[in-house]
Amino acid sequence: MISLVPSWANRYADYWDTIQKRNLWLINLRFGAVVILTGFLISSILILNLSFDKTQFIALVVITLLILFYNLMLKRLSRFIKTIPGHFNPLHFSLLQMILDLSALMLIVYFTGSIETPLFMFFVFHMIIGSLILPGFVIFSIAGTIVFVFNILIFSEYFFLIPHHSISGLLTIPLYTNIKFILSYDVIFCCVMFISVFLANRIANQLYTIEQKLIESLDKLSEAEAEKQKYIVGIVHEIKTPLTAVHSYLDIVLKKILGPLNSNIEERLLRARTRSNEAIEMINDVLKVSKLRLLDEIAIDEVELSEVIVKIVKKQTINLRAKHIMLNFFDGRTFKKKIKGDKFLLEIAFSNLIGNAVKYVGTNGLIELDLLDNENEIEIEIADSGIGIPAADLDKIFSDFFRGSNIKDRSYEGTGLGLSIVKQIIERHKGNISVASPSKLQMPGRPGASFKIRLPYI
Amino acid sequence: MITIAIIDDDPDILDASGLVLMSKGYKVVTAANPEDGYKIVKENSPDLIILDVMMNEPDDGFFLAQKFRREKITTPIIMYTSISKASGLDYGVNELIPVDEFVEKPISPEQLIEKVEKLLKKKEARDARI
Repeated sequence: MISLVPSWANRYADYWDTIQKRNLWLINLRFGAVVILTGFLISSILILNLSFDKTQFIALVVITLLILFYNLMLKRLSRFIKTIPGHFNPLHFSLLQMILDLSALMLIVYFTGSIETPLFMFFVFHMIIGSLILPGFVIFSIAGTIVFVFNILIFSEYFFLIPHHSISGLLTIPLYTNIKFILSYDVIFCCVMFISVFLANRIANQLYTIEQKLIESLDKLSEAEAEKQKYIVGIVHEIKTPLTAVHSYLDIVLKKILGPLNSNIEERLLRARTRSNEAIEMINDVLKVSKLRLLDEIAIDEVELSEVIVKIVKKQTINLRAKHIMLNFFDGRTFKKKIKGDKFLLEIAFSNLIGNAVKYVGTNGLIELDLLDNENEIEIEIADSGIGIPAADLDKIFSDFFRGSNIKDRSYEGTGLGLSIVKQIIERHKGNISVASPSKLQMPGRPGASFKIRLPYI
Repeated sequence: MITIAIIDDDPDILDASGLVLMSKGYKVVTAANPEDGYKIVKENSPDLIILDVMMNEPDDGFFLAQKFRREKITTPIIMYTSISKASGLDYGVNELIPVDEFVEKPISPEQLIEKVEKLLKKKEARDARI
């Protein structure tokens, strides 16, 4: 079987998708054609006062029913067509539809007066649609065949070899025997047919070429982005290695493993450790973002979110006790389904959010974690009674390196990457995240913030 | 006396980790590349191995860990790693890495001691069963 795939259709998945869609579109269009044809029959008799003889009328009704019938069959068939190379594929299906339509149209043209009917213009319309789908040689052959059959038809009628069916009431004098009329209409028709095929095919070809170039550039861009991220990961790693060693030495000196420290020196070394901690955190954040942007695929684990949250809360126990923070966790779900996602990434996201709540809630603060769900999604709310987020910052807090205008002083460490990572992770899981401040836990002078995350179940 | 082998290509990490562990009374042997690492493990049969991923070496930490396990060396291994490397960026996530614990650098002295003690206890329990 000829594959029928045009040479310019390189991106197979997209191409087949387009063809499948066009096939379905043609089927729907054909139902419209049936309606129009029926309307034409009725209106030409009732309104235009055209009269069909018995043969014409029966023929047109039969053709209309035939179109309806084969369209229903095509609709059924369309479900079973697969894009297997060498087999009956959507393109063969397009071709089949086209042959059926053109045959039906040829019959309608014949029964409505051949050269005298305006309906043969519809051939041109078919040629344009065909050019968008089929390769040039196929559509040119079809155009040739139509022109050939149409000529046989009109000249057979001219020489009275077959009966002519004119629509009485349309023309006052018969024209199918007027050779000047036939030739002028025929020549123009043939020209229009071939020119439209040529133009439409060319334009389709060019559009696909342009589309392809665009897609190629897009691929190159994302490749460059991946390269950039790899480069960042590489560099940041190189920076982290010596920093890790510095950090380890600071720890040892501060642990007084090597001997006692005077309090003045100890204080400065503690500051040094805090600052190097800050740098390491920033590096880890950058690595997380780069990893997220590098890996298109996320692992698919079955994740029980409440387990993830409990695990994170446990890790925060020391901080919670030290700052006398009250943390409540309510699991008010009814469906309690697991979600599909990347456990590692989800842990990063929720440990960021919970970590933020602990960081900004302050001493004696309140944090509340709520899990709710419906059949399709799970909702997690993380609310605190912390310093809150100024209204002007609310829509910016998910962007890279943004830090709230109320935390710019040095009392809160952070890189401003956390929430941007969280948002990316949630969106990778087809979920969404929103923020509100003040939160439901607001206290005088402590507006608090609340983050709501929705993630789809499976 | 309990012996701990540390294998890391960063001499300062070797020194620092060594200092922490020695302060707790462990005997520490160190190696700065996988080859020497293999040797010191063979020679000293340590009770615990702290192994860095050492991505820059031709045979990295993973390779060495697998080699130990292939040769039926069941000594517990703590693997020093770093975030992108522990999360499937540089190797297949499904690849089996036969270590007992992953630890992200930098690790505080307290955490290091805690992990070491935990694994040594586990080993003791295991040895007692045998």
